Amino acid sequence: MNKKYFTGVFSDEDSLVAAFGKLKEKGLKPDEVYTPYPVHEILDGMGNKTRISHAAFFFGLFSTIGLIGFMYYVSVIDWPLHFGGKPFNAFPSFIVVNIVATILVITILTLFTFSVRAKIFPGKEPEIFHPQATDDKFVMLFSSEFSKEKEDMIVQIVKEHGAIEK
Amino acid sequence: MIYKTEIRGPLINGDKSLAQISRDIIAPIDAKTPVWWFAAMAVSLGMLGFGLYCIYLTLAYGIGGWGLNNTIGWGWAIVNFVWWIGIGHAGTAFSIFLLILRQQWRTAINRAAEAMTVVAVMCAGLFPLLHMGRPWLFFYIFPYPNTRGPLWVNFNSPLFWDFVAITAYILISASFWYFGMVPDFATIRDTAKSKIKKAIYGFFAFGWTGSSKEWLRYEGLSFVLGGIAAVLVVSVHSIVSTDFAVSVIPGWHTTIFPPYFVIGAIFSGFAMVLTLVTVMRGLYRMHDYVTDSHIDAVCRVLIFISLIMGTAYMTEIFMAWYSGSIYEFSIIFNSRMFGDFAFQFWAMFIANAVVPQLFWFKAVRKRIWIVFIISIIINIGMWFERFNIVITSLSRDYLPANWADYSPSWIEVGIFIGTLGLFISGVLLFFRFIPMIAISEVKSVAKFNKPRVSASNSSHHE
Repeated sequence: MNKKYFTGVFSDEDSLVAAFGKLKEKGLKPDEVYTPYPVHEILDGMGNKTRISHAAFFFGLFSTIGLIGFMYYVSVIDWPLHFGGKPFNAFPSFIVVNIVATILVITILTLFTFSVRAKIFPGKEPEIFHPQATDDKFVMLFSSEFSKEKEDMIVQIVKEHGAIEK
Repeated sequence: MIYKTEIRGPLINGDKSLAQISRDIIAPIDAKTPVWWFAAMAVSLGMLGFGLYCIYLTLAYGIGGWGLNNTIGWGWAIVNFVWWIGIGHAGTAFSIFLLILRQQWRTAINRAAEAMTVVAVMCAGLFPLLHMGRPWLFFYIFPYPNTRGPLWVNFNSPLFWDFVAITAYILISASFWYFGMVPDFATIRDTAKSKIKKAIYGFFAFGWTGSSKEWLRYEGLSFVLGGIAAVLVVSVHSIVSTDFAVSVIPGWHTTIFPPYFVIGAIFSGFAMVLTLVTVMRGLYRMHDYVTDSHIDAVCRVLIFISLIMGTAYMTEIFMAWYSGSIYEFSIIFNSRMFGDFAFQFWAMFIANAVVPQLFWFKAVRKRIWIVFIISIIINIGMWFERFNIVITSLSRDYLPANWADYSPSWIEVGIFIGTLGLFISGVLLFFRFIPMIAISEVKSVAKFNKPRVSASNSSHHE
């Protein structure tokens, strides 16, 4: 990233959350926050939403319909065979396969969706703004253009709880 | 939540900083490989090698080399299959159910439990494959358009359900485990000094940086996978039980089987988790993370599950009498309880329903070596349970003319030893190369019950 940026670095969750709250009060927001573990105040406060569970629901819906359809096609239309006097469309038996196979499909597709949306994939080069953000530092990234006045305000708030690194 | 702070006390001992948590858990990966590790690896690879030789014999000469006969068509292979898959259930059950119940103490143990799951399911999957007799034709079980008719699979068959269930289970538990490790691999990447280590763990870290966007979706993913894997855990072992319960063999054809199997699986898995974490804690001095109170909690869970196991055994005995079916009665009373298989039955009963009751005593729970021994006893007891189910019912069915006895050939024993070797070597590799405790999850609970720097900030975080 060749843009000019600066970071606010905090050494514990409480200071990060406190500074984040004060920034929000002033109508300011960091462009991104890097934390060693998920901090719910930040996840909520950053205003992003994830629809991954909605996606998973639809994956499940379509795979259920698809699987039931497939088993019906195989057992009734394509090559009907009698198994122990059961009807060709032995629906209760299909449920068992359907549940487990649906779960498998949901998992694979949701993982794929996660990988695409969060841009997490094998061999990706990480954009690291602070090398300790995955270890013990909580890092706010400011990379947008701020007016001088706003930038001073950010620096002041961050310095109350942590440190500024440019 | 209420439980995590006020009642349980600190989840990590020693008032550790976040950086120290990373260092402590990564330490075994950076350290020189200890001598005992090589010794244990050599032994387990030897066991695995012997197992591979027995598998070679099975492939070359067929399952005629096993001790099976016309009456007893399922021998040690299926006993071991059910045993391993049961152990394999704990990892996911552990993570998922404790996640749903918001038990924060799971964080120190879930990684090891999930690792155990993946290896155990690999061991389990081997047995049905070999039992096919012609394993090179295993792909016949995939329902795909083929040139054999097209001859599709039988969707009514529990054996097909089993195939789907195990395939799904291994893929899902492995991906659940792996995605849990991604943030920790990033931590290793960012803290490692060696370039090679940085590159290797960096590759597996998938470019993770810990940004809020990543965490948000990551939490969404855990929520989805956790929710559906809970269903999976219950359904997979229910399906394994239908391999038996859908038949008409006395002692198998009972409605209690699905819950009985699921509980049994979680029981044996928790016992194996206990075996594993006591070993891990001792060898790698993880006492601050896997604290006495963690061990204590698992022991308490085991008391409860053991009571359910005892109830299930008593229910089987009661129903054998109460149903009025002479075949059921004969299997349970004349074969299992007071017959040729009495040793296996009572070994099962005592090891699973009686011995774990010792965990009621605090004196037992706090002596780790006793806990370790009891966990091994439960593992053996659960093996006997599967032996009872598989062998007894087959050996004494409706026609006395068909009755037969069974003892395993050395090839069957060898394959079992081979899977034990596979399991141990897999676990050793896990200890050596993967952070054995979920670093990011432990960090998220590290702050509980610690004297806070800013006492004014009293807000509780999820």
